[in-house]
Amino acid sequence: MTPAGALVRLIAILIVAVALPCRAEDAISGRWEGTARVPDDELMVIVDLAQENGAWVGSIIIPGLGLKGTQLTDIKVEPPDVKFAVKGPLGIQLNLRLLAAEKKLAGNFEQGGNHAPATLQKTGPPQVEHPPRNTPVAKELEGEWKGDYEMLGYTRHVSIKFANHLDGATADFVIVGRKHNVLPVDLVTQEGDLVTVDSHETGFSFEGRLRDEKLTGAIRQGAIETPMVLVRVKS
Amino acid sequence: MKLSGIFILPIAVCAVTPIHAQSMFRGDAVHSGTYAGPAPRQFHRIKWKFPTGDRVISSPVFKDNVIYFGGDDGNVYAVHAATGHQIWKRATNGPVPATPAVADGTVYIGSYDGKFYAFNAQTGALKWKFATDGERRFEAKGLHGMQPKDQTIADPFDIFLSSPVVANGAVYFGSGDGNVYALDSATGDLRWKFKTGDVVHASPALADGVLFFGSWDSYFYAVDAATGKEKWRFHGGEDPMIHNQVGFQSSPVVVNGTVYTGCRDSNLYALDAATGKEKWRFFNDLSWVITSPAVADGKVFFATSDSSLYHVVDANSGKPIVRQQGKAYIFSSPVVGSDVVFIGVLNGTLEARDPKTGDLLWDFKVEKSKQNNGWVLTGDRKFNVPFLFHSNWREAPIVATDQQIRIGGIYSSPLVVNGVVYFGSADGFVYALE
Repeated sequence: MTPAGALVRLIAILIVAVALPCRAEDAISGRWEGTARVPDDELMVIVDLAQENGAWVGSIIIPGLGLKGTQLTDIKVEPPDVKFAVKGPLGIQLNLRLLAAEKKLAGNFEQGGNHAPATLQKTGPPQVEHPPRNTPVAKELEGEWKGDYEMLGYTRHVSIKFANHLDGATADFVIVGRKHNVLPVDLVTQEGDLVTVDSHETGFSFEGRLRDEKLTGAIRQGAIETPMVLVRVKS
Repeated sequence: MKLSGIFILPIAVCAVTPIHAQSMFRGDAVHSGTYAGPAPRQFHRIKWKFPTGDRVISSPVFKDNVIYFGGDDGNVYAVHAATGHQIWKRATNGPVPATPAVADGTVYIGSYDGKFYAFNAQTGALKWKFATDGERRFEAKGLHGMQPKDQTIADPFDIFLSSPVVANGAVYFGSGDGNVYALDSATGDLRWKFKTGDVVHASPALADGVLFFGSWDSYFYAVDAATGKEKWRFHGGEDPMIHNQVGFQSSPVVVNGTVYTGCRDSNLYALDAATGKEKWRFFNDLSWVITSPAVADGKVFFATSDSSLYHVVDANSGKPIVRQQGKAYIFSSPVVGSDVVFIGVLNGTLEARDPKTGDLLWDFKVEKSKQNNGWVLTGDRKFNVPFLFHSNWREAPIVATDQQIRIGGIYSSPLVVNGVVYFGSADGFVYALE
């Protein structure tokens, strides 16, 4: 083999080596629609998977379970295998394998310790939904706020402590009733004088307006909404 | 003093009311929930299973080798206890999730058609029927947090009808029209009716000439059985916001001068039968006590809904003795047989537990429960709540509740006779296990 021929061959090998994983990952990126075959039922499942800045991101829609644009977590793509989860009360896990020739992802849909076969067909480019992001909050909101509300016959004490960071605000959300509950907060926003603190995992949220040095609004647990006023804790 | 308490009360009860130990809800007029005679401490086999046209919420009762029960298919059934063969069935015009009482050759039972029936126990022939002011389920605006919150919604968990108690020539029962009725048991003529503020689907208990029952109006009542005059009332919890923690759905038991009753306000109450004064309460962390307690050997046996706990507490003090974590909601009232407690679970399982430790001796799962269609249950047989109840809008929670029911939940309180345990399932069958 001449040096030129060897060079051509090396380049060809490199092109193939680089192109193969690219093709596999390109093949996985997209919108996937199909079903999970639950006994005596079929769940429609729509998954969007994409690569952004070298990382996999994704969201899922399951009309029968009230999921729309919910974030995928723990995404692991090792072509032809694709795994991801949906955190929260439902606790869904999908373990799929790309069947490239058929443009299908097929595998296992797991929820609550139950397993069902799932098959998804690629239907187009990905339409990944991104979660809303924390915004900064006003300087006068920083610090701890306290209030009470009554539900089902007894009083709960609420504390929300706001702090600003470079990438938005955070909040420590604590409800003390018969138990001391520290709620995981996944969204803090302020739009004008409207402040929201959401704990999607627990179904609790607070929404109130910052006026006259009070946060006046309501606490929500699922569908139950109770008026509540938070006042600043003097430091 | 304890001796007098033990011996005088049964004599007093015997003097006032005939004992129909297996022929009415919870066995007898005081609703003890206890059955003498052998009970299977081990599961051997299905003796028979009897199919009906819809779920069986009713609890079977026994009289003269016949099992009687109601079906949500609208029928009242008489089935041979030994063979499971149908003797007769009689149709009503509504589901019959009530438990019959059998006395003096007559089967007494109410239906969702708003009528109360008396059938000949041998033939099923109608003796008389009485029209109440109409049946309905408990309902409220924004019930349990369902939306729209200003819409009145009927409670899908109001699943039982009041079961009658028969004594002294009268038959007593509650109704969705808010009344408790006393009828002449021979003719069906009205003796008196007592108006409460809401649905009465608990079954009244009778002891020492006093009728005890709770209503969804948040009150528990003691009424003179002869006159219908109120003797006292006790106020349970209220929940004006979502009406979840309110109402007596549990039926009471009366033992040794104490009334024990569960409540949707999450308490099991022990009340003085003479005065209505609270002796103790056992709080269950916002979990309903739908089960009617059983009392045996100085202990109270009951279970909870959402927390799915099986409890045994001291009858005098309410102090916990046994606490066992169950798998799914428990609406079925426990019964105490000789050396074994039976209780149904809404995941379609009948459990046999040791009375002293609460340990599971054996369990039996109906076929529909094993199939787990629609993933009503998780892999470890708990209710798959986030999978079913993903929306509180409109009828979604009601549909989800119906899905729960379709796996064969056991709401029926078991009956123990001659070493056989009988119960109904929401899969539409009545089972006899030995």
